[in-house]
Amino acid sequence: MSEQPTFEAAQKELEEIVHRLESGEAPLDEALKLWQRGEELYRLCKERLDAAEGKIEELASRAEAAKS
Amino acid sequence: MKVEAIDYGDRRVYSVGAFNRGVASWLSRLPTVWVEGEVTELRRQARWASVFFTLKDPADGACLGVSMPRGQFDGLRLDLADGDRVHVYGRPELFEARGEFRLRALSLERFGLGEHLAALERLKQKLAAEGLFAAERKRPLPFIPRRVGLITGNDAAAKRDVLATITARFRPVNVLVGETYVQGPRAAGAIIETLRALCREDVDVIVLARGGGSFEDLLPFSDERLVRAVAACPVPVVSAVGHEQDTPLCDLAADARASTPSMAARLVVPDLAEVLQRLDRARAGLERGARRTLERERRRLDRAHERLDRAPRLLLERGRARLEHAAGRLRALSPHATLERGYAIVRSDGAIVRTGTAVEPGQKVDVELAEGGFGARVEETR
Repeated sequence: MSEQPTFEAAQKELEEIVHRLESGEAPLDEALKLWQRGEELYRLCKERLDAAEGKIEELASRAEAAKS
Repeated sequence: MKVEAIDYGDRRVYSVGAFNRGVASWLSRLPTVWVEGEVTELRRQARWASVFFTLKDPADGACLGVSMPRGQFDGLRLDLADGDRVHVYGRPELFEARGEFRLRALSLERFGLGEHLAALERLKQKLAAEGLFAAERKRPLPFIPRRVGLITGNDAAAKRDVLATITARFRPVNVLVGETYVQGPRAAGAIIETLRALCREDVDVIVLARGGGSFEDLLPFSDERLVRAVAACPVPVVSAVGHEQDTPLCDLAADARASTPSMAARLVVPDLAEVLQRLDRARAGLERGARRTLERERRRLDRAHERLDRAPRLLLERGRARLEHAAGRLRALSPHATLERGYAIVRSDGAIVRTGTAVEPGQKVDVELAEGGFGARVEETR
């Protein structure tokens, strides 16, 4: 996995990790590592969504300003 | 007819009069024919024996002088004007005194409606066969033209209608008006000139507008040169000539056809208010779409995160349970549990004694119990 995966790639990996953990296949120390990675991916995805929301608000207010 | 010549040695030379007479006599043997053209430069004077005019080919401008006895011309009561199309019946003749060649008219007919219609139909078939009216040739009109060229008669209702409609719909557009003749013999050429002039002014679309008129009034708009110029025009042309039932050929060659001048204006510019409204709606939809996508992704991420958080604890509990289970089984399998139930292990020299014959009477053995044990001596064997 590269340093900055796309949102879609990060989300996909996160969901795969959740699935793997829930199936109980992973050995314990690997499971811990997976969990850590999962949290990291969650943070990354959330940051992206927050940034996207900020962008939407900015564009919306700019459009509102242009209208008046 | 005998033409006299003077011989200078072996060179035969004719006087001007003799030459003209010779040519005239040769011409007079040609047959009488019908010639079609437009009347120009009509000259008639009471003291002249003949009426003169020039017959002009509208397609290539070729000219032919025509003379007709004045009495005969007046008797026809044709009331001809420059630009009228006629059929002349006559024979070629040389006016000997001036050496001028011309057509001596015996009869003259105005080109009638029937002839016009037939000629128009022939031209239409010819141009259609060349593909000038083909749908593939039609170009789309610009959505918002920067500059509109308008060709119209001066002070025409058509001009007012187009300008008023354009202004009402899309004020910012720039209209360049080319005023020109829109009927009569000079109209076709003048319209072509205006068309070219407007193209040089960098217009994005041209409207050719003329209100209704008689069949003859609209004839210039079916002129072959004009029709070809419209088809070849580098920018799209909207034709709004005459009323719904008239179909001048320039309508067929144009990129779009409008039934009235104001319809042409509607084709050429969009309604600004409507465009702005549509744009607003699109923008609102865009924002809604972006927010919806964001919400969806957020919910999906939250779900994944909840499950992720639960996963390690679940895993740990599952591991613990498995461990307990294994410990239980391990304990169940331990020999100690057997001793608890009252069994004992007998060893002789460290080896477990499994049969009576493995020991002798008097031999020392070691007995292990669930708790502690003791040494013993064998009394008897069985």
